[in-house]
This record gives sequence, C-alpha cells and structure tokens, in this order.
Amino acid sequence: MAKPILQVRHLVKYFPIKKGVFRKTVGWVRAVDDVSFDVYEGETLGLVGESGCGKTTTALTILRLEEPTRGQVIFDGKDITKLKRRDMRKMRKGMQIIFQDPYSSLDPRMKVKDIIAEGMLTHNMLNGRNVYKRVGELLERVGIPADYMNRFPHEFSGGQRQRVGIARALALEPKIIMCDEAVSALDVSIRSQIINLLKDLQNEFKFTYLFIAHDLSVIKYISDRVAVMYVGKIVELADKKVFFDDPLHPYTQALISAVPVPNPDYKKKRIVLQGDVPSPANPPKGCRFHPRCFMAMDICSKVEPELVEVKPGHFVACHFYDKKGGNS
Amino acid sequence: MMAKKREKLLEVKGLKTYFFTENGVVKAVDGVDFDVYKGETLGLVGESGCGKSVTAFSIMRLLDYPGKTVGGRVVFEGENLLEKSEDGMRKIRGKDIAMIFQEPMTSLNPVFTIGYQISEALKIHLHMNDREAMAKSVELLKKVGIPIPEQRVHEYPHQLSGGMRQRAMIAMAMSCDPTLLIADEPTTALDVTIQAQILELMKALLQEFNASLIMITHDLGVIAEIANRVAVMYAGKIVEYSDINTIFHFPLHPYTFGLLTSIPRLDVELKRLDAIPGFVPDPLHFPKGCKFNPRCRFATDKCREEEPPLVKVEEGHLVRCWHVDRVKEEVKNGLLVGV
Repeated sequence: MAKPILQVRHLVKYFPIKKGVFRKTVGWVRAVDDVSFDVYEGETLGLVGESGCGKTTTALTILRLEEPTRGQVIFDGKDITKLKRRDMRKMRKGMQIIFQDPYSSLDPRMKVKDIIAEGMLTHNMLNGRNVYKRVGELLERVGIPADYMNRFPHEFSGGQRQRVGIARALALEPKIIMCDEAVSALDVSIRSQIINLLKDLQNEFKFTYLFIAHDLSVIKYISDRVAVMYVGKIVELADKKVFFDDPLHPYTQALISAVPVPNPDYKKKRIVLQGDVPSPANPPKGCRFHPRCFMAMDICSKVEPELVEVKPGHFVACHFYDKKGGNS
Repeated sequence: MMAKKREKLLEVKGLKTYFFTENGVVKAVDGVDFDVYKGETLGLVGESGCGKSVTAFSIMRLLDYPGKTVGGRVVFEGENLLEKSEDGMRKIRGKDIAMIFQEPMTSLNPVFTIGYQISEALKIHLHMNDREAMAKSVELLKKVGIPIPEQRVHEYPHQLSGGMRQRAMIAMAMSCDPTLLIADEPTTALDVTIQAQILELMKALLQEFNASLIMITHDLGVIAEIANRVAVMYAGKIVEYSDINTIFHFPLHPYTFGLLTSIPRLDVELKRLDAIPGFVPDPLHFPKGCKFNPRCRFATDKCREEEPPLVKVEEGHLVRCWHVDRVKEEVKNGLLVGV
C-alpha cells in the first residue's frame, strides 16, 4: 500500500473530572489512552467501537479540536501537535471532518452558500466573485441543485444536510476526511445514498477516509482496514477481510457475532458478552476487557496487553496471542 | 416457521390515525390491517415517519391531541379496544398488553425507584400488597438478568446503565404476565453487544411466558432475528406482509426489495449499495397514486394515478403493488444469490 498520510503515535487525551466549589480535579476520564495507528494515502480506515470507547475523541484530538494530552500526530510528514494555532488552522485545510448530526453541525443562521464558501474564503482559495460559482458546482456534485444555495439549513432534509456537510468538506480539497458517524443518524434508504456518495467522491478525488462508526455492517462495506477500540484503546487492527473472517481479539469476535444480520437463514454462533462497558474514568486493571472476557487468564487482570503485530498487518492487544503471555 | 394451531390474539382492521395539525391533516396511519397470533412475533418495519410507532400507540390508545384514531377496529381477545372506556383500557394496559419503549431513560420516572415502578402495576392489576409486590419485583429483576436485584430494586433509573434500564423496563412489562407485548425500537439506543443481550433475553422470555410480540424497528437485522412474520410500512400503509423467509428471500414490493438490496450487511460482500433514490415523502404532500411511485424504478403511469390495494399474491403473502409480476421476474431465483 501507499505511504502513510497520517501517523498517530501514543495519542492520549484525558479529561479532568472536577468537583466541589474550587473545581478541584478529582480524577481523569481516560477517553483516549495511548492510541497508535497509521492511515495510508487513499485508503479508508474504519474505526469502530461502542459508545464511550473514544473513537470520536480520537478524531477530534487528531484535528486538535481537542488538544491532545500527550502523543504525536504526524500529518503529511509534519508533527502537527507542535504547531501554533495559526499554522494549525492552515493545516486543517487538508484535514476535514463530517459530523454525525447534520442538524447541529450547520449554522442555522447562515445560508448554505456561505457555509460552504466560508472555508474557501478563509484559505484564500477563491475570491468573492468566483466562490459562489464553485459552491454551485460542489452542490451539484453532492446531488443538490445549485440554485438551492440561497436556502438555509432548516429548509433541507437530514440527508440533504449531510450532503451540504460533505460539500463543505469537499470545498477545501482536503487530503483526509474524518467521517464521524456521518451516516448513523440517517434513515436506512438515505444512508445508502450517502455511503455511495462518499465512495464515489473517494474514487474521484482520491481522498483518504478515517471512517468512524459503531455499525459494523457499514464499516465492513466502506473500509479497507479496520481498527476496533475498547475503553480508550485499540484492541485489534487488521485488513478488512482478515478482521471479519478471522478476528483474534475476543472483543472483536463478540462484537461481530452480536450484529443482527438481515437474513433469517444466517446461522452463527453468537457470543453474548456479560455486563456493561466499563467507564473510561475507572477502567479495569490489566486488560480493560478482562471482566467481560470469555477467554480471560490470570495475567489478564494484572498486566495490560500491548498492541502487537501477530501477523503482517494484523495487530492485536491480547495476552492470548502474546508470546510472553504463554499461549500460542 | 408456521405456528401450530394458529389462534388469533389481535386483529387490526382498517386502522386510521390522523394528526390534525395547523398545516393540515397528517394521515400517519391510513388503513392498516394485520393480525397477531398467539405466541408469535410480528415485525413492524419501516423508516422514520412511516407510522409504525403511531400504530402501536393507537393500539394502546395512548395518543394525545392532535393525534386521533378516526377509523378501524383493534380487536384484542374478542373485544374492540377502540370502543372501550378509558377505565376499561386502563385495566388492559400493563396487564394484558404491555409496552417497551425505545428510550428507557425518558420512559422510566426519574424520581421513583425501579422497585416502586415495577410494584405499581403489580399492586393495581394483581392487588398485591407492598411487601408482596416488592418481593415479586426482585424476582422479576433477577429473571431479566440484573445482578444483585435486592439492591437494584431500591435504586433510581439514573443509577442503572442503558442496558440495565432496558432490562428493568422489560421486567416491568412482563410483571403482570401479558399476552401481548409491544416493543417500540427497544434496542435502537443500545450498543451492539448490549443489543445482543437484550434480544436474547426477549426471545427467552417470550418463550417462557408464551407471549406474542409486536416488534417495531427500522433494523431489518433485528427483524430477521426475532420475527415470525413481517409487515413493511411505507407512508402510513402496509406495503408488504408475509412470513419472515418470504420477506427476506422473495420480497415482491419494490420498497422491500430496495431496502434489502440497499443496506450494507455482514453476510454478503457487496460491490455497491443499490440505494433507493429520493426521499420519504412529506406526509402533508403525499404523491398521487402509489406513495412510493416517485422513488420506484418499476413505476408506470398507472402507479402515478391510482393507489394499488394490498392484495394476496400467495397464501399469507400480501403486496401493495401494481407490478408484482415484474418484480417477481427479478427475484425469481431468490434475492440473495450465494447465501
């Protein structure tokens, strides 16, 4: 595969828990806790996990919409965690994000044409006269008639708003687009339209996607590689085919087996996990998955497993596959 | 999966529920017919605004102004619920027919303990005293898999996780041994591993209590997992109605067909999603003729003029489409080749 366009190294984001009159910090929510991965040029890396696992915080921290607590983010060869605010703003032209909720992510008081033009004007890509012509082209490209540009967001349906959000990201000709649950809030029939649009745009403009979702069916369809997060950590990362056909981490296995498949004849062995996802404010000692794990060994409650490459390109954080852990 | 001797528990006929809004009349449910047999699960599937939840609320008579059921019959165990007095209805709700909602955080009362809320129905319907009701609540919580039920019974909804709250709500629904359960998107707000837990639990309880279920969801995967028969709704009407295997392998309504070929799925490798074009029509401005016609690739002039009736294609398979034969041609060999 091509070279990495984005390298995330030991990324950490803790949020303080404040209590009392003096807002004293009494603890930390370890939303993202030592996460490392690469995203290659032109690929789609799916980032999957349940609510609260830190997948959205990972994206926001990469963009420095949240400042990372520790770690490095190398975009296009540059460590962007050290950049000054102004330089970071320039850098963000190349890294765009599409949010989940198309209702709250578009300013209700701005016309759609201004929402889309704003970034292009800020980055001096076009002057005032040409910018709206470009807005029209972008709208047409995402499937909205150009003459709708004078409308306000509330005049559009959910699916159309998500198209506007895509046009806004597209306008800056980014190298990488983070899609944060970009299709989760949409109805079934609209969702597939937007997924197709995202795929077509990738073919046309050679974008790289970091595609964040909790829906494994969508992840399977759109991704080239998949990483799964659990309570702030990546527990497995592999090529899509390996990930779905031969998952190694017990959590990945359970996650895949839990997805309801729209086929009454589809027989599978379901692994039903006991208990709930632990809070990232107070993660279990050792492996964070061990209280719910059906393969847990003694070591799992004591030592936190590292993400190791067990086969070329297949990373797993589980003692079961770790030579030091004793098994296989 | 044919039920043994099929005994009808609920019969919904010509149900019409309209919303009288300032902008006009919204025909949210416009002539819906279906039956629920004893011990079976009927899936009610569709996208937002198709009328599936309103159908459930109409059966339970839980609609407020501006919504009003203006026509039809809901016959439950021989009695038309729409003609019952409010008092008579109250005797049925929570006892013979219980409901599970999507968001347990908003449907449980935040200021009462879980135990108090489960006890309420037991005291009203089964005339238990406080102590009996509390003991029964603990037993129910245990049954739905809540750990340390003796302690949990005294806790408030906010002290429980989303999955636990949904379990508590199921315990409440099952408390008076209902014959019919209506679940409105009960797993939609849950994470996938928790959803799996809840689905397994519901399946086990249905069997144990021999209750019928109307499962309302937009998720065809959930339907495939739990339902025996399915009604697909679009724009206030049922467009296809059949047993589960037929719906998934030989669907005959272009909308059902489109839904199934457009969704990404784990069991088949798809090159491209065959998305349904356009969007769900605004209920104040439904298209003339078949309501699906602007999005349908089978549509002809007839579809744009005249709304098709729901007709029987085969025993137990009803479809609302003028062009069943043409759709049939396409799915002749089964919808999913290679499964």
